[in-house]
Amino acid sequence: MPATVQTRDPRWVGQGIPRVDAEDKVRGRAQYVDDLLVPNGWHGHVVRAPVPHGLLRGLTPDPAFDWSRVVVVTAKDIPGPNCIVSHDRSMPVIASDEFLYAGEPVALIAAPTLRLAREAAEHLRIDFEERPAILTLHEVADQFKHNDPALVKLCGQTIRKGDAEAALARAHKVVEAEYTAGHQEQLYIEPQGLVAEPTGDGGVFIYGSMQCPYFIVHELCEALALPPEKIRVKQAAVGGAFGGKEEFPTWLAGYVALLALKAKRPVKIVYDRHQDILYTTKRHPVWSRYRTGLNRDGTIAAIAVDFLLDGGAYLTLSDVVMYRGILHAAMGYRCDHVFVNGLVARTNTVPSGAFRGFGAPQAIWGLESHVDAMAAAAGMTPHEFRLKNCLVQGDTTPTGQVLKWSVGSPAVLEKSLERCRFDEQWKKCSRGKPGAKSWYGIGVSFFAHGAAFTGDGEARIKARAAMDLDWLAPGRPGGIVRVSSTEMGQGALTVLSQLAADGLGLDLSRVSCPFPDTALVPNSGPTVASRTTMVVGSCVYGAAGKLKKALEQFAGKPIASGKEFDEIASAYLNKHGRLRVEHLFVLPPGTQWDQKTFRGDSYPGYSWGCNVAEVEVDPRTLGIRVKKITAFYDIGKVVNPVLAKGQIEGGLVQALGYSVMEKIGIDRKGRFDASRMQTYIIPTMQDIPEMDLDFVEFPFDHAPPGAKGVGELPMDGLAPAIANAIEAATGLRMRDLPITPEKLYEHSQKNLGR
Amino acid sequence: MSTVKRTWVVNGERWTVDLPPGRRLLDALRNDLGLKGTKEGCGEGECGACTVLLNGEPVTSCLIAAGQVPDGAEIMTVEGLEKTEGGRILQEAYIERGAAQCGFCIPGMIMSSFALLSKTRTPDDAEIREAHAGNICRCTGYEKIIEAVKLAANRWPEK
Ligand code: FES
Ligand code: FES
Repeated sequence: MPATVQTRDPRWVGQGIPRVDAEDKVRGRAQYVDDLLVPNGWHGHVVRAPVPHGLLRGLTPDPAFDWSRVVVVTAKDIPGPNCIVSHDRSMPVIASDEFLYAGEPVALIAAPTLRLAREAAEHLRIDFEERPAILTLHEVADQFKHNDPALVKLCGQTIRKGDAEAALARAHKVVEAEYTAGHQEQLYIEPQGLVAEPTGDGGVFIYGSMQCPYFIVHELCEALALPPEKIRVKQAAVGGAFGGKEEFPTWLAGYVALLALKAKRPVKIVYDRHQDILYTTKRHPVWSRYRTGLNRDGTIAAIAVDFLLDGGAYLTLSDVVMYRGILHAAMGYRCDHVFVNGLVARTNTVPSGAFRGFGAPQAIWGLESHVDAMAAAAGMTPHEFRLKNCLVQGDTTPTGQVLKWSVGSPAVLEKSLERCRFDEQWKKCSRGKPGAKSWYGIGVSFFAHGAAFTGDGEARIKARAAMDLDWLAPGRPGGIVRVSSTEMGQGALTVLSQLAADGLGLDLSRVSCPFPDTALVPNSGPTVASRTTMVVGSCVYGAAGKLKKALEQFAGKPIASGKEFDEIASAYLNKHGRLRVEHLFVLPPGTQWDQKTFRGDSYPGYSWGCNVAEVEVDPRTLGIRVKKITAFYDIGKVVNPVLAKGQIEGGLVQALGYSVMEKIGIDRKGRFDASRMQTYIIPTMQDIPEMDLDFVEFPFDHAPPGAKGVGELPMDGLAPAIANAIEAATGLRMRDLPITPEKLYEHSQKNLGR
Repeated sequence: MSTVKRTWVVNGERWTVDLPPGRRLLDALRNDLGLKGTKEGCGEGECGACTVLLNGEPVTSCLIAAGQVPDGAEIMTVEGLEKTEGGRILQEAYIERGAAQCGFCIPGMIMSSFALLSKTRTPDDAEIREAHAGNICRCTGYEKIIEAVKLAANRWPEK
């Protein structure tokens, strides 16, 4: 059944080798965008809408200011249509007659110094007429609940299996609840930054901090009125991204490119932290409502979910975030009658965007909290209920997909429960016992994460990877990995090098994996959706195998050693020059997907995870301490166990922040209210719990050597595990993230009359 | 604009810089001395990416006015680590344990590790956490950094 059969024992795959870029990073030699010298470069600055919604009447330059020292760009300077071509064409690069969020660009300024650019901005008067604005998730959730026609829907999608309403009506018990979560800031430590330089041929060269070089090319070519090949994009070292550098860099690229083309010189914008928090995308706030039915025997009769995301001012990628959300909102459990109603609503805030997990954490937050409520209603413990109802191989998902291969369930669940002795610990939970010095609780969550793009996404983008046979150095031939996947800290360069080396059957020293440059690499798709190791990695592995075969054919004999490779490869290069081979990703045979009805194989495979959280709550202060996390994951074949663990640890700590620390709202002026690191609090080394993590391997045979996604998985399930543990500790069910002592206190006042 | 002249010992070398008013130590190091290893993550003393050692003490260089740093001060940045035995041990340990992911926090983080191990040969868990509490890392979850510091402590040179 596997597309390509892998026979040889892998050498590098499975080894926790150090990262290929580690040395540079610990010596301070890695070059991030702000470390690069930009000769003759100017600094760019963005002039922004002062209120969340308004009609733009004009921009009036102060005649007393010397405008000859700066370059100003407005919507009128955009050579093509004024839009960023994302999932629709609604978002302008620069607002022209209406703006929809506070901080939306209305003009751009470049000057020899940043100080002068900012000074010029103060001399540009923005004339506007303010319009009414909707600012929060709570407002749109209210509109939704009351069927208010004022609700602006950016998009919607449903999933239907069986007849959920009829099954709810017949059910032995019905359990209902609502769950919400606010924004989350990616807070990569390197702020956003890009440089654009005009090229001699009328094009533009853009480089800096980004996840998806080809997004910039394809999303801007209309506005810049340039053919794609005249927009060259290259990645610099990226100081963290987590989705935050997925779609946003296109906006920033638009700013620097327009300025550079008009100023006829390089222009750089590096945000300071305050700007970065105020004006870049965040995780979508979510409101979800679960209505579920139980049968007498403790099985699930029906799941009905309303899933509403706050998309901010423009659609951007929100449709796909919502798709991933609804595909995970009822996933993981056997149930014949499912209805999921997904919706993205507009608010007058910065467009919400990609953040590790991409809708799945928001969905799993509600689902896995609700599973505990169902377990209680069924008179079962949370772990018994999960073990009884979890999907296993051969079961059918809400979209009708039969789980045929690589199913790490119930393995991850069983192993986690056993490792932390859940059954024993569960009996020790305090449940808000009066007089106790400290309350203890344990909670579990269980989840799947669709690996790679949703539905036929992978088939549509036709991801390709190339391997070049070329000189790595004079006299030293080797394989160069050519993909558009970026290294943003997750270890892509290392993992892809390992896969390339194994594909070639050679030592790692004969492989190189440089940063992508659209002038040199094919489009292997964006660096998102935990698809790099699984999809692009498999293409690299395939391409490397083909490269080896081609050389063997050239030589008329097999290549058995590095020395032989050197001889044959050198002979080839001397005779024919560089050789490029490509490999295309193919979905498993028989994959079916209907994008309209959302029926069919929603993902080629799933990674699986289980999180157990143990918490202590101080009955006096209601301070919450997450003491320990036990977790098992099935990410298929683990290519590099050290890097994979690093992904899990880092992701879990981000999820810890999401669960109990990271709080950011919208103030009355429509701006984020925690816009500095002093106010947006994320975990430090002093906040981290003990972590007991492990893998079970259920390789994905359709993408040799069998990896599935890892990056997003650790973000998915911790919040509900912690909420479940907090209920076990305090007796209080918290349904809004982040869970803070203040919220616990408010809730306890209502519930316990304390 | 009137500048002040300062002479410091940076990573063991004498440097004289002309500082315009308001120049931050971070900018003096990055722009005047060309030592781009030290990073700016917030400019407000919160993230620790800009941590350097000033006379052996870790400081956030984004909060320090360069003109206030007196003549003769000893400054050590990430670029200076490899000139010391302890620094090389730390770098090796960070690499071995996979302590760097995106790497942006590391130039500051590793200076805090160096300051800690220079004073405390065998730090316990609480001391390690305390010493790095001012260094935010968004990638690693800190686990592997703690492991690296422990490994380096084991290998730290006898005085
Ligand atoms: S840049 Fe100095 S502490 Fe963040
Ligand atoms: S390694 Fe990325 S912030 Fe620490």
